[in-house]
Amino acid sequence: MSDLDPTLTVLLYSSLAAFTAGLGILPQALSGRLPMRALGWANALAAGLMLGVAYSLLYEGLSDRVLQGGAGALLGLLFVRLAHRGTGVQDLDLNRLDDLDPAYGYQIVLVNTLHGAYEGVAIGAAMLVSLPFGISTALALAVHNIPEAMVQTAVLESRGVRLRHAAGLAVAVNTNQVLVSVVVFVVARALPWLLPWAIGFAVGALLYLLMAELLPESYAQAGHTSIALVTLVAMGIVVALVGAG
Amino acid sequence: MSDVSLVFLYALATALATGLGAVPFLFVREVSPQVVAYSNAVAAGLMLGASFGLVSEGTTYGRWETLGGAIVGVVFILITQRLLDGYDEEKLIFGAATGESARRMLLMMVVMTVHSFSEGVAVGVSFGGGVELATLITAAIAVHNIPEGVAITAVMRPRGVSVARSGVWSVVSSLPQPLMAVPAFLFVEAFRPALPWGLGFAAGAMVFMVLVELLPEAFHEGGRRSVATLVTLTVIGMVLFQRFL
Repeated sequence: MSDLDPTLTVLLYSSLAAFTAGLGILPQALSGRLPMRALGWANALAAGLMLGVAYSLLYEGLSDRVLQGGAGALLGLLFVRLAHRGTGVQDLDLNRLDDLDPAYGYQIVLVNTLHGAYEGVAIGAAMLVSLPFGISTALALAVHNIPEAMVQTAVLESRGVRLRHAAGLAVAVNTNQVLVSVVVFVVARALPWLLPWAIGFAVGALLYLLMAELLPESYAQAGHTSIALVTLVAMGIVVALVGAG
Repeated sequence: MSDVSLVFLYALATALATGLGAVPFLFVREVSPQVVAYSNAVAAGLMLGASFGLVSEGTTYGRWETLGGAIVGVVFILITQRLLDGYDEEKLIFGAATGESARRMLLMMVVMTVHSFSEGVAVGVSFGGGVELATLITAAIAVHNIPEGVAITAVMRPRGVSVARSGVWSVVSSLPQPLMAVPAFLFVEAFRPALPWGLGFAAGAMVFMVLVELLPEAFHEGGRRSVATLVTLTVIGMVLFQRFL
């Protein structure tokens, strides 16, 4: 797909994914404070894209060595639970616009930083499966970063953070995606037996995140039917396009 | 025995296997709100994992046809929901339950039964290449059906349907399999083009059911970390299970 050095390709597309997060301020910049419904749909959109990426990783990424993939998924699930408990962000509702507790501000930024890291594992591992597959995975997660940043921006803005600062923060929060994806790519290229573990890790982590942190609030913010439809359409687009890459 | 009756018998055996899915619920004594929530989470994970398998099979026949089928599946469930909503609470009866519980069980039966039509076609088409591998294919499909029985019982048992009846309903939901397997076997060439549509339809209907009914109810009474963990584990388990059979 490109003549670029593979590692630079990873660097380029993961950076692109991190920078698109800055676009998450656009809805607010254009239309002011967002209605709760819109936040629900943003969460559902982010969740659906993640679900599509998890499916593609499982079925396009893990051709054989499914067992290592499964073990990696358990590891990913366990890691997310421990990391979120260890940093005190387990059971965090990411949408409390009226919560002005000082701790909540850093928790939101921290939990989105952790999300970025798991997505970095997904990008790095997908790039090793094949560069076109990795590129479409990175693009799907780049789009995913926009609604994710949108919700974070809504929380930050209600705490008095300026929009352009919120855009900077959204990008900053996702920069670890760049670091993690390059590290995973380089390490798993040197140690090929790690690849199914890395793919599984990303799948376990993404599935858990979207179930534990993206979907639960969304159902309270908008109707069940619209949430299900947004999630399903987002997933369908990723399955159709990423698989075709 | 003729090939046709053989295909019918094999497909019937796989349908009966679905009833085995009720067996684990012999060991669940009390039915608390938590049991309802976590049963829903398990059903959601099983159906999501099963849909992943259907999508991956469908896309090998035709990517866009699978997507088209999924859209039809979602529209079908939306229409069924509207029809069921049109009934009075008292008139809607399923077993001992009325109203909302009856509606959800009916919807579950509709989803799982229509999805069996596509599975029946898949069985018939796969036998279409000859019946040498029949025993192997049948055993694999029969085992695949057990989790579907688990999913159905997980929705029915907490709503007061007995384990035995849940098992019977599970078998009923799979009866379209033998009915569809025979024509699909006889007219493989005619049925094969329809297969991606059917598989997509089944996957779309099941994922939509998960997102619109099962997950919201799971989150309603269950903790989100536990629900997310259960869903992730069952999805991974189901995918591994399908890959190894």
